[in-house]
Amino acid sequence: MNILVTQGKSGLAAALASRLSAEHAVKLTDVDIGDGVTQCDLGHDSATDDVVSGIDAIIHIGYNAVDSGDPTELLDYHTRGTYNLLTAAAEAGVSRCIYLSTLRLLQDYEENLTVTEKWRSLPPSEDPLLLSCHLGEIVCKEFARDGLIDVVTLRLGFPLVCGDRQAAVDSGESAAVALDDVLTAVERSLSADIARWQDVHIQSPVPQQRYLMHAAGELLQFPSASGTEGGA
Amino acid sequence: MNILILGGNGMLGPWTIDALAGRHNLRVTDINDAPDGFEHEYVKLDAADLEGVIDAAAGMDVIVNLSVLREDRKLAFDVSTRGNYNMMIAARKHGIGRVVNTGPHFQTVGPQYEQWDFGLNPEMPPQPGTRLYALTKSLGQEITRLFAERHGIQVLTLHYYNMMHPDTHATVAGDTVPLHDDLTPFSVAWPDAGDAIRCAVEVPETRLYSKFESFFVFADLPHGKFRNDKIRRVLGWSPRYQLEARWNKPVVGS
Repeated sequence: MNILVTQGKSGLAAALASRLSAEHAVKLTDVDIGDGVTQCDLGHDSATDDVVSGIDAIIHIGYNAVDSGDPTELLDYHTRGTYNLLTAAAEAGVSRCIYLSTLRLLQDYEENLTVTEKWRSLPPSEDPLLLSCHLGEIVCKEFARDGLIDVVTLRLGFPLVCGDRQAAVDSGESAAVALDDVLTAVERSLSADIARWQDVHIQSPVPQQRYLMHAAGELLQFPSASGTEGGA
Repeated sequence: MNILILGGNGMLGPWTIDALAGRHNLRVTDINDAPDGFEHEYVKLDAADLEGVIDAAAGMDVIVNLSVLREDRKLAFDVSTRGNYNMMIAARKHGIGRVVNTGPHFQTVGPQYEQWDFGLNPEMPPQPGTRLYALTKSLGQEITRLFAERHGIQVLTLHYYNMMHPDTHATVAGDTVPLHDDLTPFSVAWPDAGDAIRCAVEVPETRLYSKFESFFVFADLPHGKFRNDKIRRVLGWSPRYQLEARWNKPVVGS
């Protein structure tokens, strides 16, 4: 499978490329220039058409905890950039987009609540990054609704902890997700039999786990009992 | 009240100004120059300019947003999505308690509703689809909803589609349209469209159920495709023109 990963200069993109390149051809793209990264600002132009040409699936990073910038740039990238990316992808016949979002969109629910994918997001308007991520989800959903591309929105736990599942446990955070678990969930999402649009909550199984993961269990068989499994 | 009108030099702007002038103090902005002989305070302003919108909102009690740009992909997001963010930041910064936002009906009830169903109403969850105009306006609407619910700013969203002169039934003065041949069942006369803005500006907050309320603005049409009962009931808006010549057959022998 030919896979495109956005925000290609991020640590998460690098980790995805490392994991997925064993079985797939992975292309990284970013708005900034970088080694091994195809520069593309996701504009309405041929550069975006070129970056999706020949791609089977896109992993579009909608939330990157280290991302920062002024609200104007964030909103523009996550709304217009996502629109341009998916428009080009649909025209190029890309079949699936995995949108990496965040469970922070649901962090305002109290911890004693059984929050699943059936609960409405509560993005704080005063946080441009979370607001942008939420709007990016909406853009993706409308493309799926119109039948132009299948979308799996993986809302990842927080914080994202480097390492395996034990590292997430050691963090002491009830919504933590280990990088290993993220990579596993993304890898399984590439080939899972999923409806044309689906939210999936992904965090590591930790004590006092904050979010329930019914969709992940049903659709991705995540998490399995062992924390050491590799790919799909 | 002091009212800021964003995008006031478009098609709906003059009718809005007619409905509000003499009752309120108006500060009108638009990306284009003011019309010759314009009688109200005017600021040339791009709605995508955050600092400019914040400055223009100083001293205002209400913001009315009529800005729209449909075709160009970058400008559509700049104006319809980020423009709404800028407007809400400005409202929050200046403690402005009410925003009247506008957009097409399909920013809420898009093709997945309209092609299938009847009885469509403004309480329905937005399904704009991927058309540029619909989606960019719907994203802007979502931004206003989040600010309304987070910061207690009263947002009233008025949905329009076809607007026409009550005498000719044409959208643009001087054009001609066939009568007795049906019409888009989301149509309203220009004067009534402007008066709906006045109703939204002036409605007491005690009549509003929540901080984010949406309304469909169209004449009392018999199709049953959409519902306009909410704006009549909540805002007290009553259309003067029902546009019957478009949806009645001609009288035989006349």
